[in-house]
Amino acid sequence: MPVQNHIPISSNLKENEQFFKDAIGVGTSFDLGVRKLKVLKTDVHLYYCNGLCDTQYIIKLLEILVEANDRERQTSKVKTVIENRLVHQQVNPIENLDEAVDFLLTGLILLFIEGETTAFAVDVRSYPGRQPEEPDTEKVVRGARDGYVENIIVNTALTRRRIRDERLRFEMLQIGERSKTDVCIAYIQDVANPGLVELIKKELQEIEIDGLTMADKTVEEFLVKQGYNPYPLVRYTERPDVAANHLLEGHVLVMVDTSPSVIITPTTYFHHVQHAEEYRQSPAVGTFVRWVRFFGIIASLFLLPLWSLFVLEPSLLPKNLAYIGPNEKANIPILVQLLIADIGIEFLRMAAIHTPTPLSTAMGLIAAALIGEIAINVGLFVPEVILYVSIAAIGSFATPSYELSVANKISRLILLIVIAAFGVPGFMIGVTAYVLFLVNIRSLNTPYLWPFIPFDPGAFMQILVRRSVAGSSIRPSIVHPQNRQKQPT
Amino acid sequence: MAQQETQKQDVRIEQNQQLEQNQKEQPMPVIAKVLIIGVVGGIFWSMLAYCAYFFHFTELSPSLVLQPWAIGEWKDGAIGNIISFLVIGLLSILVALLYYALLKKRQGIWPGIIFGVILWLVVFYALNPIFPQLKAVKELERNTIITTICFYILYGVFIGYSISFEVTEMRRQKQAE
Repeated sequence: MPVQNHIPISSNLKENEQFFKDAIGVGTSFDLGVRKLKVLKTDVHLYYCNGLCDTQYIIKLLEILVEANDRERQTSKVKTVIENRLVHQQVNPIENLDEAVDFLLTGLILLFIEGETTAFAVDVRSYPGRQPEEPDTEKVVRGARDGYVENIIVNTALTRRRIRDERLRFEMLQIGERSKTDVCIAYIQDVANPGLVELIKKELQEIEIDGLTMADKTVEEFLVKQGYNPYPLVRYTERPDVAANHLLEGHVLVMVDTSPSVIITPTTYFHHVQHAEEYRQSPAVGTFVRWVRFFGIIASLFLLPLWSLFVLEPSLLPKNLAYIGPNEKANIPILVQLLIADIGIEFLRMAAIHTPTPLSTAMGLIAAALIGEIAINVGLFVPEVILYVSIAAIGSFATPSYELSVANKISRLILLIVIAAFGVPGFMIGVTAYVLFLVNIRSLNTPYLWPFIPFDPGAFMQILVRRSVAGSSIRPSIVHPQNRQKQPT
Repeated sequence: MAQQETQKQDVRIEQNQQLEQNQKEQPMPVIAKVLIIGVVGGIFWSMLAYCAYFFHFTELSPSLVLQPWAIGEWKDGAIGNIISFLVIGLLSILVALLYYALLKKRQGIWPGIIFGVILWLVVFYALNPIFPQLKAVKELERNTIITTICFYILYGVFIGYSISFEVTEMRRQKQAE
């Protein structure tokens, strides 16, 4: 922790000005400046940072301040007069120069008065940013279309619109030596587990890092100690309704400024396979959608390894499924074809992200033509390989959580290699090791495969069948909430 | 007099009703949860084992459990398999209670793994004479041995991890109160 030098504000304006010139470059940086005026025969300096503050408000403030020269009688209590005339709801008096510097660099304006050791900081911040729009990765067919933005104040407002409870708390911290990023912990006071809130706060306060430029990802890495585990240990969302729902269930949210993704803790594997859309439909339809999605995820994990196992050892297939398997002889071993096809899909995905929109149509045509017809005609792929890889790829796109789909892809590749090496024993031992690995993961005191292993019948039924909201009156027990009844009985 | 008496009775009924309203809903006792874990674990994993048998990963089907009883040829068919799932579910209750009695305080997945392996050894070595059609372990295929050991390990972890989790949760809730 750096030593906090509490340099007090000097009553001599010239000394203060010199400090600002040396320390933060007022005069050197073009966007930091000072406005000198006289109010009631006293010098007043106004420091501002262009771009982060709203000029209209500053003009109005200056207008009212300068009016004092005409309206007020000459008095020695200039500071009181000025403080009264700062027409804004948020005015903070400050005593130290480093506090003043912090405020100035976030966009507040500072007013220094000759002969006073207290300065005023007025919050006229207005950050450049976008309006709330529906996030790309979490679209729903029917429902709210607003999403979080990069400004943490707007995000808190969007959340408060959905939960107007007086016990909703947003605690702000500043993390990062040079970036001083605002990080906010959100929870409902009488629902969330206080131990969890304390744990998160402690972990965040112990982060020592230069800057949080890649905002939420860095915070997550510090929070859950990910290491080389590909599986996501926290859930991200950009939708305020999903975040509000999790808050009501007792989760603790971490919002990072400059990032529209909000971190939801704690999570389990099964949190990543649910999507907001299921709650926008009736319970039966939602359950149906959920089951289709489960099949997609299972297919993305196990379809390719199982199929390659049956190709390698056709004797495993029962009589009525004996048609599975390539009809023609393949030039390249099936395993190599599967690996190439899988990695090819990754290439497609990366190309789709990096291609600017005007080119994307052309790219789509090339990709479809290449992989489809030509690869088969050349003899590189067997048609069955393409079929099964496509099904697995669609299954992985059906996974609501992007991080989970990539982690499943890695597991699938490892399983493929193990099967090619060891056959049936490889598959069984691979699957067992995989399940045990998942069971062993604990993030923030929650087992990863809850409620499957360890088994909780009530919660597991809720995952299998989406219950109507009126029927689910108990919060999930894994977040250890303080009061378990959701609705007043 | 009569009016006062009925008034007193009304007050008493109201108090009783209030008390009953305020009574906290009793959480399910741990033993009931252990039983449910046992039943679900037995049924679920035996169904998966049947899928493994269907794809010839293992030459043993869950209907093995019905072999000691001479009840006719249908025990190898579809109905026999379904009944064998239920029978395994019931047997699994005993296994779960056994785990609860012995190992409930252990944390982590290793107790479950070792429990599963010991269970496999008991079924395939010690209980071998009960199942007439079960060959000795030496004569079983490698695939069968590995598949069955894996299923027993997963089953053991399912039972063990769930039970120790329930026990720790119960203890923590008691502490919180």
